[in-house]
Amino acid sequence: MIALRLPRPVRRYFDNWFEAHNPLSRGTIVLHNRRLYILPTRFGYLFAAMLLFMFLAAINYQNSMAFVLTFMLTSLAIISLWHTHKNLLNINVELLTPRPVFCGEFCQLKFAISHRNQSRRYAIGIQYDQLPPVYFKLDPEGSTVAVIKLPTQLRGLFKPSGITVFTRYPTGLFHAWGWLRFDIPLLIYPRPLEDAKLQQSLVEQSDGQTSTSTIEGDDFAGLREHRIGESLRHVSWKAYAQGKGLLTKTFQGHARPSLWIDWQLLTHGSQEDKLSFMTALVLSAEKQGQKYGLRLPGKVIEQSYGSAHRNNCLQTLAVFKQSDPERELPLASD
Amino acid sequence: MRSIALEIANRSSVFAVCFCFLFAIAPHFPHLPLWVSGMVVLSLSWRCLQNLGRFGEVPKWILIPMVIAGGVGVFAEYWTVVGRDAGLALLAVMSSFKFLESRRHRDLLILVFLCYFLIATHFLFSQSIPTAAMMLVTLIVITATLVTINKREQQVSLRELLQTSSRLVMLSIPLMLILFVLVPRVPGPLWGLTNEQRGGITGLSDSMSPGKISNLIRSNEVAFRVDFEGNVPPQSQLYWRGPVMAQYNGYRWTQLSRQPMRRLSLNVSEEAIKYTVTLEPNGEQWLLALDVPTLLIADSLMTRDFQLISKKKINDLRRYSMESRLSYKIGLDEAQDYLQKTTAYPEQFNPQTIALGKSLAARFNSSDEILNEVLGMFRNEEFIYTLKPPLLGDNSVDEFLFKTRRGFCEHFAGSFALLMRAAGIPARIVTGYQGGEFNKVGNYLIVRQSDAHAWTEVWITDRGWIRVDPTAAVSPNRIESGLDDALADETSNFRIQKRNPIFGDLLYRWDDLQHNWNDWVLNYDENKQRSFLNKLDLGIKNWSDMVIALVIMLVAVTGSFWLIAWYRELPPRPPGYEILFRRLLRKLARRGFEKKPSEDSRAFLQRIPAQQLAQPDQLARIIDLYNRIKYGRHGDSTLLLKQMRSMINSLQA
Repeated sequence: MIALRLPRPVRRYFDNWFEAHNPLSRGTIVLHNRRLYILPTRFGYLFAAMLLFMFLAAINYQNSMAFVLTFMLTSLAIISLWHTHKNLLNINVELLTPRPVFCGEFCQLKFAISHRNQSRRYAIGIQYDQLPPVYFKLDPEGSTVAVIKLPTQLRGLFKPSGITVFTRYPTGLFHAWGWLRFDIPLLIYPRPLEDAKLQQSLVEQSDGQTSTSTIEGDDFAGLREHRIGESLRHVSWKAYAQGKGLLTKTFQGHARPSLWIDWQLLTHGSQEDKLSFMTALVLSAEKQGQKYGLRLPGKVIEQSYGSAHRNNCLQTLAVFKQSDPERELPLASD
Repeated sequence: MRSIALEIANRSSVFAVCFCFLFAIAPHFPHLPLWVSGMVVLSLSWRCLQNLGRFGEVPKWILIPMVIAGGVGVFAEYWTVVGRDAGLALLAVMSSFKFLESRRHRDLLILVFLCYFLIATHFLFSQSIPTAAMMLVTLIVITATLVTINKREQQVSLRELLQTSSRLVMLSIPLMLILFVLVPRVPGPLWGLTNEQRGGITGLSDSMSPGKISNLIRSNEVAFRVDFEGNVPPQSQLYWRGPVMAQYNGYRWTQLSRQPMRRLSLNVSEEAIKYTVTLEPNGEQWLLALDVPTLLIADSLMTRDFQLISKKKINDLRRYSMESRLSYKIGLDEAQDYLQKTTAYPEQFNPQTIALGKSLAARFNSSDEILNEVLGMFRNEEFIYTLKPPLLGDNSVDEFLFKTRRGFCEHFAGSFALLMRAAGIPARIVTGYQGGEFNKVGNYLIVRQSDAHAWTEVWITDRGWIRVDPTAAVSPNRIESGLDDALADETSNFRIQKRNPIFGDLLYRWDDLQHNWNDWVLNYDENKQRSFLNKLDLGIKNWSDMVIALVIMLVAVTGSFWLIAWYRELPPRPPGYEILFRRLLRKLARRGFEKKPSEDSRAFLQRIPAQQLAQPDQLARIIDLYNRIKYGRHGDSTLLLKQMRSMINSLQA
């Protein structure tokens, strides 16, 4: 915000002060007095200039009512300073853990906002850096959810930054704001490559080893004794009703081809292209019900399947060789 | 921040700003040239239709020449672009152009600020109570518009908007009062004021010809109000001295060039009458004073014919303290050249009157006899005092004295003065006001334009200038009890008392309110501020004391607002029995019986072994009471609460 270059010790002092007053939060941030800042807007300064002119004119014309008006408007500004501050005071903001998205998609930041006062809050904006703000209002003791759609351009794990919640209500003469510093990461997977041909060529290169698995599948295979911890969805309730005790249905799966998605086998394209290919492969393998594993330089994920495995793979791909983990999410406008 | 200012304004905001501007400028339409008012209305309508999508935006190549033409038009109208009237016209023209090119959030905010500024311009025209009330409403409307712009397209009902803006304005009033009283006042002006002629002000003029004062009489406006320190002198003594006319051209009486008095020379025997005049603007330099003023005040001078002249034109309310003496001798050593001037008259007009005057001079030896003869003529012959005299020709005095014999005070005074001059007695016309209406609610005198009057002064050796009022000879009622009595069938009653027997008291109150408003609000300058703060006796003596007091008061008031708001946001206070119950729990906790958060309070109390307490059954009784207060159907449980409190207090013992 301030383009001014301060000497390093001074800057560090301010940074420390800022960190101390606005600690990172994983939960709810309460915008109490010490976290709220308020400054006049440009219109506030313009208004002040107008008041000064009016005051001089009142002196010049010795016009009592002009004095009254000048003082009235001055008081109005003081009162609106207080109202603007009050409009934002003691609001609770929580960032709901955002779902990971693929690069290029919009990352939705959902903020749960509430307050416990008897007053109404109007025209509060929540803004991510330079993106257009989203406005909301709150009823007495009300709550709402505000959603910011964040465009993504890079894969990786990022921390949200530069989120402010602000208001200029009611008069626009003052801008009150608080910093929302959340210690909640935003995960952005690589953009999946959508070229079916390339995917095909990659699949062919992998070993065509097949095996059958009897753990789970689609076709009913028989019943066996239920073990604690197994999903109740697979309990044969019919058998239970017949008094045979808890029995688990077992299924015979199709032949599940297993697959290694291997960095070494990709010879063409840049690092990001390769990661995009691999992302697309993970997605298609998961979709086809294949067993797949991931081989990256310095990191191997054993063959498996399921959404947890998929997410693990995608996250590994997302943060692979990320230059500066925990960096702030860059925006298109930068 | 930047992005918000440059946002395209939304529709409802544009409508709101258009309405608000119209609301703020509409009372100015009578003061503005017709084409300027038309332009404002046209621009606003265009902007509204543009907002509805009917019209397009006005392109820059049309707008810029129009702006220049508007500026030239204002200059052509007033031959200046500064000053009150021209400045206002320029402001109106330019802001109507600003409307045509307003697209963004920023433009609308600037227009709203212009509306605030327009309020200030209204006070240059009138500072009365109704204007102030109207401007308070305007202020609320403008502030509501400001809120509309800043509500960020959210649904906020009109009622809520007006509520918010009224609350802002009402909460500002206490702070405004503090600022008004305590901000140190600086004597103005800071830069040169164009002392422009302000139209539409009624008052005495610098010349007198037949019909001039009777026109003024028709106005019911207040000329000035007077607070006397002692008793109000009798009605017949209340001659308020204004412009003195000593030059006559056969038709019109005018003033001689003003020569300040070099030395106040008068013989007085009695104590001075002290009073304060609050003079309404009269657009001229006259300061009215009871005949004859014996005090000089700042920014004014007294001419040698005892006329008080302000150095500046009185375009704003003026308040001054004065002293006068009712019995006096002035002009005993009047200069010869002045006496010559006051006996001069043009020979070619009014030959009959001049002949009569000359014959009087031949018939009588002393001035007193001539005077009495003429007054007797007015009294005994058939002269009629009327507001509707017939029109007079070139020899107006001849026609009046010998033909029509119907006239108003200026006819009587003018013809009397001419007769005296023809008889060789120096005479001059004094215009001003006679009488006044006493407001018993506020204990002051109201003098209206309808009290305007003209009389004469003649100079007699060894007696100096003495007042002679020929109207009194014709119509004693005019002097004794006022115009309404003298002309009962001709005037619509001017005086409150006469006009409105039922609401009279209310009207007196209203006038008193205006008088106080003039005194406390409009006249609150550095002198008034100093005397008021001295009267408060808080030790606020100078500039720096005022600033300190100002800061303390502002902090105190905003702080109390803040506290009240904080208190109102607090969760409601729990009922008494809950507070007592919590006290009980705290007491038990000190004894080592801690209530777990998961535990029901009943279960917890049952858990406590009764024998561990000094009075085993006390606890059960307290719980019983608690349940009876909480769930029982008592109208008033204060007694039970009292019982519960004493039981809990005695539990430890």
